[in-house]
Amino acid sequence: MADAVALPGGAQEKIGRGWGLLLLYPVLAAFVLLFVAYPVAELFSRAVMVDGKPTLAVLGKLVADPFSRKVFWNTLLLGAVVAVLGTVIATAFAYAMTRVAIPLKGMWHFLALLPTISPPILMALGLILLYGRRGLVTHELLGIQTTALYGFRGLVLAQLISYFPFAYLLMLNLFRGLDASLEEAASTLGANAWQVLRTVSLRLLMPGLAGSVLLLFSYSFADLGNPLLLGGDFPVMSSQIYQSIIGLYDIPQGACLALLLTLPAVLMFFAHKQLSARTAFATVGAKGSSRHRLVRHRGARAAALAFVGLVSLVIVLQYMTIIAGATTQLFGINYTITGKHLVAALTKSRGALLDTFTLAVVSSAVSVVLGLLIAYFVARTELPGRSWLDFVANLPLAIPGTVIGLGFALAFSGPPIVLTGTAAIIVIAFSVRSLPYGIRSGVAALDQLHRSLDEASTTMGATGGQTLWRVLVPLVRPALLAGMVFSFTRSVTTLSAVIFVVSPHWSLVTPTILSQMDRGDVGEAAALSLMVVVMVLLVVHGVPHLLGRDWREAR
Amino acid sequence: MTTAHTTPAKELRISRLDKSYAMSRGRSVPAVRDFNLTLAPGEFVTLLGPSGCGKTSVLRTLAGLEDFEAGEILLDGRSIARLPAHQRRIGLVFQNYALFPHMSVFENVAYSLRLRREPDRQVRADVAHALEAVGLSEFGPRLPGQLSGGQQQRVAVARALVMKPDLLLFDEPLSNLDAKLRVQVRAELRRLQKSLGTTALYVTHDQDEAMSLSDRIAVMRAGRVEQVDAPEAIYARPATLFVAGFVGKVNALPGRIVARGADAVTVETLGHRLEQPAVPGAPGPDVLVLARPEALQLVEPGPGMPTGTVEMIEYLGDRTEYRVRVGSTQVTVIETALARHRRIAEGEPVGLAFVARAIHLLPPEAGTPS
Ligand SMILES: Nc1ncnc2c1ncn2[C@@H]1O[C@H](COP(=O)(O)OP(=O)(O)OP(=O)(O)O)[C@@H](O)[C@H]1O
Ligand SMILES: [Mg+2]
Repeated sequence: MADAVALPGGAQEKIGRGWGLLLLYPVLAAFVLLFVAYPVAELFSRAVMVDGKPTLAVLGKLVADPFSRKVFWNTLLLGAVVAVLGTVIATAFAYAMTRVAIPLKGMWHFLALLPTISPPILMALGLILLYGRRGLVTHELLGIQTTALYGFRGLVLAQLISYFPFAYLLMLNLFRGLDASLEEAASTLGANAWQVLRTVSLRLLMPGLAGSVLLLFSYSFADLGNPLLLGGDFPVMSSQIYQSIIGLYDIPQGACLALLLTLPAVLMFFAHKQLSARTAFATVGAKGSSRHRLVRHRGARAAALAFVGLVSLVIVLQYMTIIAGATTQLFGINYTITGKHLVAALTKSRGALLDTFTLAVVSSAVSVVLGLLIAYFVARTELPGRSWLDFVANLPLAIPGTVIGLGFALAFSGPPIVLTGTAAIIVIAFSVRSLPYGIRSGVAALDQLHRSLDEASTTMGATGGQTLWRVLVPLVRPALLAGMVFSFTRSVTTLSAVIFVVSPHWSLVTPTILSQMDRGDVGEAAALSLMVVVMVLLVVHGVPHLLGRDWREAR
Repeated sequence: MTTAHTTPAKELRISRLDKSYAMSRGRSVPAVRDFNLTLAPGEFVTLLGPSGCGKTSVLRTLAGLEDFEAGEILLDGRSIARLPAHQRRIGLVFQNYALFPHMSVFENVAYSLRLRREPDRQVRADVAHALEAVGLSEFGPRLPGQLSGGQQQRVAVARALVMKPDLLLFDEPLSNLDAKLRVQVRAELRRLQKSLGTTALYVTHDQDEAMSLSDRIAVMRAGRVEQVDAPEAIYARPATLFVAGFVGKVNALPGRIVARGADAVTVETLGHRLEQPAVPGAPGPDVLVLARPEALQLVEPGPGMPTGTVEMIEYLGDRTEYRVRVGSTQVTVIETALARHRRIAEGEPVGLAFVARAIHLLPPEAGTPS
């Protein structure tokens, strides 16, 4: 590598010569202000402004209203139960996968991650078909007609299946990262597998466990699809926001609810951030080993296999049911095999599928490019305000999708900017929601590079912009593509962020599935859900294959 | 720590141990092959060998952290080969110490006692003893992260000692310390092990460490034990050229036994004849003559001695190393700095004298790689 001789003028010189790239900085800042800060601010202003005058009346009425209070506590209770149970399941699953000798690990892993690439609304659909009033298990097998699924229990179940995989991924990486020699030391000192787990592994993973709890909490808060379909007599904030806006057209009340939903969500988010910073200490250092010894005890293996198998079975049942629902006349009533729903999904709903695909692809590119630029400005320049840019651009991680979606719908339905009914509002909503992940992949990509690399190129006479394109981009492409795939998945599966911004011109799959289910077209809903899963699977597994080996290894 | 706290030392017998690591696609790499070693009760034995020869694999297998294909491990005649790690009562000191970062020094040391549900008073007394033994009485409340490397190392030793193990294993415990501290801590380790009398197996690839610590040294090569003997014997009478080379510099010269007497043999090397005490089963007539660099001296060239020219001189402070060409062979000679008044220059002709009875004879095949 060429010796980078510092040029006279140093950093200033460098920034001065990269003026082309610097022009983008205000553009980015404007984008982030306009499409992250402004919609949220607009939404909150609707909560505390009526007829142009500031007032706390709506908020006060809401806080005083026993029903609203109940909704608020319901939301917290559901979040807490899902967070704790989900963390327990995720931790046990990750432990079985990383520390116990069980067969077919690849398959269990694949199955456990299926829900992460499916719209959460699919879980509600599967549960209804299996355990609903005319559910396969409840009605056909057990012969009971019950509404027990609707309400708290159903929501817990649906959200657990939808979101535990995210916690599992988190715990999996933490378990893998633990220094193996610590667990080995414990066992040579006389600790059996259970004692090792209890006194060493779990203690070290404490911040990670808390992180998982907070993560699940925020997923539960933000979930809209499951509460809409399964909520029954257990209303939560997100579904109440939807009712206020769509049902009652009471914007101030919806906005107030959104404000109340955002507060705990943001709190959790920052608590989570604090914790993740601490987990780093517990993971394996340079001298540690990450080759973990597997538990061979027969009983433990059997128990682990039974547990992993049971969880996987619940997930598999969901998908089998969706497949069955998509290929029978009317699941629950008429089990005659038919291809008509699948045909309908590819004809009637083709517009929704194509629109979703196109808009999600475009916005994944947008969020990754913007994310890379923001990452570059934050990590590689000394520009004023860059930490604020970073902060605001990352807010969509903390703010529930419903809130962002509603903010968009309110902010861009009137002057100064009208976007209602356009593809742009959807693309921007998708991009904004994925922007934090775009930044993350941008940071990861830039981190992989040796700093001297871009310094070397700069001293060789390239401007900042040329540095970015010629030297950095080819090297960071793998991380960016991973970010794009992730962002694509997120966009395709979200309901909450788009339900308020869809229009007849641009239809999306998740709202379409929702309305199909409202109409009772479970067959079409199941068929379309299936198409979504297949589409995401093709992208998630297909893109790496198309791009070849190096890309998969980079992940 | 008083001897009243220790259990009687145990004998360790490892026989015919085979261990390999499974790789992808059903392949496996052998790491330990037909490994045999016996440690007398209370003995301190060092496994010495180059990187990758299988030292860590042996230790980890003994501790129950690795599976193995064949062989037997006996402690006082009882097999422990099938016991899980936590039932073996074998203390292992890791290279990176593996102290629990979330527990204080006290809790780290108390860990094994707490697992055994010892009464609290007993725990406190034993931990205090152990910490005192390693000179860290004051450090109980600290977290491992707040200790220096040497202190962490000693906590790791105390943690292994406090459970009164049947066997103590050390995997390069000093490799993370700086040179000075290493010398100091190794002396302490030796003292501690002697006072406790626990049988110990110690892994290192540092020959000085092995020499200074051990009752016996087992030199390993490619998964096997090449020689087990007392440090002096390993140095002075290595069984193979590999062992000789691993524990120091050596000149391996071709030679021939030209006469055998009742208690002496005459060996010819470098065109010079040497008397050597006869050992039973001595090789011959062709032999490999091993002469340590300090077993040779530079003298004024004269008749009846091998002569050569100095090709290179390296001053190393307390000693000087010379490369001397004698015919077609190059020999290395090391002299202590004070041994010579007149400096020798490169290119100068010199004579070579052998220090009496300081050479070692090997059969020629001991010099070929096995
Ligand atoms: N987990 C593993 N998987 C595969 N091969 C391994 C593994 N651990 C060790 N080996 C191989 O087994 C052989 C012996 O390794 P071992 O760690 O026992 O050597 P060592 O003597 O301790 O070396 P060092 O002095 O470098 O610590 C080496 O060839 C090594 O590559
Ligand atoms: Mg080793």
